[in-house]
Amino acid sequence: MSDMMIDRLVEDLTPVKPLKNRNGFALTLAMAAIVAALVVMIAGIRGDILMGMPHPMFFLRGGVLLLLGLTSSYAVIAMSQPAVGNSFKGWIWALAAALLFPATAAVMAVSARPDDMAILVPRYGMECLGVSMLAGLGIAAAQVLWLRRGAPVALERAGWLVGMSSGALGAAAYSLHCPFNSIFYVGLWYSLAVALCAIGGRLLVPRLIRW
Amino acid sequence: MIASEETFRRLMTKAQAGDKLCYSSLLTECEKWLRRYYARKINPAAIDDLVQETLISLHRKRASYDPARPFLPWLAAIGRYRWIDSLRKIYRHEHDQLYEDMVADPQDETVTAKVSLARLLDMLPPKQAEVISLVKIEGLSIIEASAKTGQSESLVKVNIHRGLKKLSSMVESE
Repeated sequence: MSDMMIDRLVEDLTPVKPLKNRNGFALTLAMAAIVAALVVMIAGIRGDILMGMPHPMFFLRGGVLLLLGLTSSYAVIAMSQPAVGNSFKGWIWALAAALLFPATAAVMAVSARPDDMAILVPRYGMECLGVSMLAGLGIAAAQVLWLRRGAPVALERAGWLVGMSSGALGAAAYSLHCPFNSIFYVGLWYSLAVALCAIGGRLLVPRLIRW
Repeated sequence: MIASEETFRRLMTKAQAGDKLCYSSLLTECEKWLRRYYARKINPAAIDDLVQETLISLHRKRASYDPARPFLPWLAAIGRYRWIDSLRKIYRHEHDQLYEDMVADPQDETVTAKVSLARLLDMLPPKQAEVISLVKIEGLSIIEASAKTGQSESLVKVNIHRGLKKLSSMVESE
């Protein structure tokens, strides 16, 4: 039985090019660049960047999101080539750094004045949430396509990571436009965008990459 | 005699380039390796299907092997993935005992020991590993496993469910 099957598989053999992680990573970066360009073209860029004097929060927020997005994207792409012993955990440290934003916001909220918290109204935050998640969707699509070419074996983890990485890169793209610098705003809305993308990834991605 | 890691890697690299002779040798060697890999970790009645499904997966996903990296950890990851999938499908085996003369997973090489299924099962909490072994591998019913372990029937089911979920998340763990 196995011999017949082996003969059939041999008969069916065609040359294949081994997947290269760097190509998958480049695809993710290219998609992130495209969505960032779209955000800038459609929504416009922050005024302080245009004036050449960006606020420190722009660098901190964008830097942490990029770090989280890039490290977790690398883990996603690496999952397309399975092997017992694989371990890509760099993203955990980036996530810990990113969690400083909501943690700081929560601590500061204890002593904040009501005026400081006005920034949290959904009127401002929903745009951040919507655009970040939409941008993340494009990046996630590229990652899912790559994973489908590969052989991911930990589907749920792949789902979490696709969601988190695409959400972080999408939010980084939106941060080019976002005019708010409040720690409360960043701690709530950006965290929410990444968290919702991660949950969405966990729920949707495994069924798309199952093989 | 099963091929060495280096032989597997060389054959796979040539197979990726389209060499059918090497591919035939590779699949034959992989079949032998997988039969030993799965022995005593799945009901004997299910081994043929599982080996075939794994070979088909190898065929479909052959582009995901990176020739710069060792072959057996790649094959083992695919093997574990298919094994867990197979355990999920099994509810009650037709056979109620393992064939005693089957050879357990190969443990003679460092690489193979690291990728073995026993090692993966050992990473589970003992109660989960125990009921998975009894119900999914040895073929006991939930009631029998409950009587043997002292866990309630619902706990046996919960532990199997949690154990399989955990195994899925640890496929690549050494």
